[in-house]
Amino acid sequence: MTDNYVIETRGLSKRYARDVLAVDGLELRVRQGEVYGFLGPNGAGKTTTLRMLSGLLHPTSGSATVVGQPPGSPAGLAKLGAMVETPAFYPYLSGRDNLRVMARYTRAAASRIETVLQQVDLSDRARHKFKTYSTGMKQRLGVAAALLKDPELLILDEPTSGLDPQGTVEMRTLIRGIAREGRTVLLSSHLLNEVEQTCDRVGVIVKGHLVAEGTIDELRGRGGLILRASPVDRARTVLGQLGAASVQVKDGRFTLDVDPAQAAVINRRLVEAGVDVSELRESERSLEDVFLQLTEDGGRGKA
Amino acid sequence: MIASLRADTLKARKRTANWILVGILLAWLILLSYVLDYFIFKHPPPGFRSEVPPSVLIRIVFPENVIPTVLSVLGTIGAAVMLIMGALSTASEYGWSTVQTILVQKPGRGAVLGGKIVNLALTSLIVTLVLFLAAAAASLVLAGVDGRAAQLPAASDLVRGFGAAWLVLGVYTALGMTLGVVFRSTAAAIGGGLTYVFVVETVIGRLLGNTGGIKEILKFLPGTAVHGVTETFPFSPTAISRGSGGGPALISGTRGLITLGVYLLAFIAISLLVFSRRDVGA
Repeated sequence: MTDNYVIETRGLSKRYARDVLAVDGLELRVRQGEVYGFLGPNGAGKTTTLRMLSGLLHPTSGSATVVGQPPGSPAGLAKLGAMVETPAFYPYLSGRDNLRVMARYTRAAASRIETVLQQVDLSDRARHKFKTYSTGMKQRLGVAAALLKDPELLILDEPTSGLDPQGTVEMRTLIRGIAREGRTVLLSSHLLNEVEQTCDRVGVIVKGHLVAEGTIDELRGRGGLILRASPVDRARTVLGQLGAASVQVKDGRFTLDVDPAQAAVINRRLVEAGVDVSELRESERSLEDVFLQLTEDGGRGKA
Repeated sequence: MIASLRADTLKARKRTANWILVGILLAWLILLSYVLDYFIFKHPPPGFRSEVPPSVLIRIVFPENVIPTVLSVLGTIGAAVMLIMGALSTASEYGWSTVQTILVQKPGRGAVLGGKIVNLALTSLIVTLVLFLAAAAASLVLAGVDGRAAQLPAASDLVRGFGAAWLVLGVYTALGMTLGVVFRSTAAAIGGGLTYVFVVETVIGRLLGNTGGIKEILKFLPGTAVHGVTETFPFSPTAISRGSGGGPALISGTRGLITLGVYLLAFIAISLLVFSRRDVGA
């Protein structure tokens, strides 16, 4: 591990066919103990990246270390719990027997099975066959299997996919609980709301490239001010004299690219100039705005 | 690999399809090779014709012929059943996508498939044992019913026959396992395997087996090897013949054993190579 990075990739690439470059020179670094959101539109290369980190796919070029080991090595897998794409288990076995199978593969103690079943709140249905499970129960069994090894790192690929709102909330709570235990979580998703509520840091992947990385606040960047004032022409003149860097007006509402700390000064000068101010508040750039900006231009621009 | 073996044993034991397959093989052996033959030879239907009289043919079902009787079902239904079992063990992992679940557990790919191979070897060993025990029990019962003296083959012959039967079942199990890994589809692996066993080896072998070029090719196929091995355990008396390949064996028993051994190793090597190197989920 370098500088406490649990996951570190260097120029990681995967080409499926001659003309399909799913992941292109990815440089990803996930720190120990954080919940890292791996965000991107469908087909951006998220699952391919997670498959490479789990050792399921061999990279075309580049390299990666996962908990200090090459992906897919038994030493690395011993510290990694992963649920990549849809949770896949033996339909003819019960949830508990499926975990027994996985525990045998990992040499996990049998007592861990009941622990993780309780952790994901599946004890009551553990004796029923996997094929009878709802989507939410399958997802929870997938998380339970990933937790069996008591792993340092958890890789979860779209864990709330297909869940109803209640199931989504439960899964988010579960993930935050897992993170509180000191584990590192790499969470892939295309749901901005999920990432915003769950993750400490976020990386945005578009067309196989990591186009932005940082905390949610860092990605949003500095906000501006929203102002509603009349008469509009006089307000525009005053704002020009104040040196607002960018002033956009739509339906009598000004969007100002200025430091929100200047709100009081701007308000006073407008009032002194005879402008009626009916609204003045800080504007917030949502993660959705950032995401759309990043993905609209195919990853060429930076947030 | 022990961890993988324990995991695979649990999966195989809990899978109903495996028990049904063994049940089919066992029923085939007992009902067709013992009960039905006994009644046919005991009460020959009108028009029954054979160079060997039924009173001699009936000895097929008695204990002295346990080895050739068991071996005679292995080249056909035995091969099919074990091929399906081998194919299910690997192809289903792809069909259910459980291959990616088990590959992100602790063992490496070699250990995962290694556990599967050992489990299949043990399964074919147990199936062989069950077939021999069932055949011995059925033959002893029928000999008792017929008022004949029960005389099992010599222990050394039983050991040789048991080993040959295990090898035959092992080869077809390994073929199914390999087809499952290569095709990653249960239907394709089973369909392709059964087509090979019943069309390529059996039908073409019987229809075109005497054609010069084809005859030479057939000598290298597993079905021919099984026939060669089977013929080294003749029925008693030797006038009785119910070989799996029809007609005399094209190769000797020794060459048959070597051919089967080579196929077994080749199937294992191919499976390990493909399973270790190929991307999962690509």
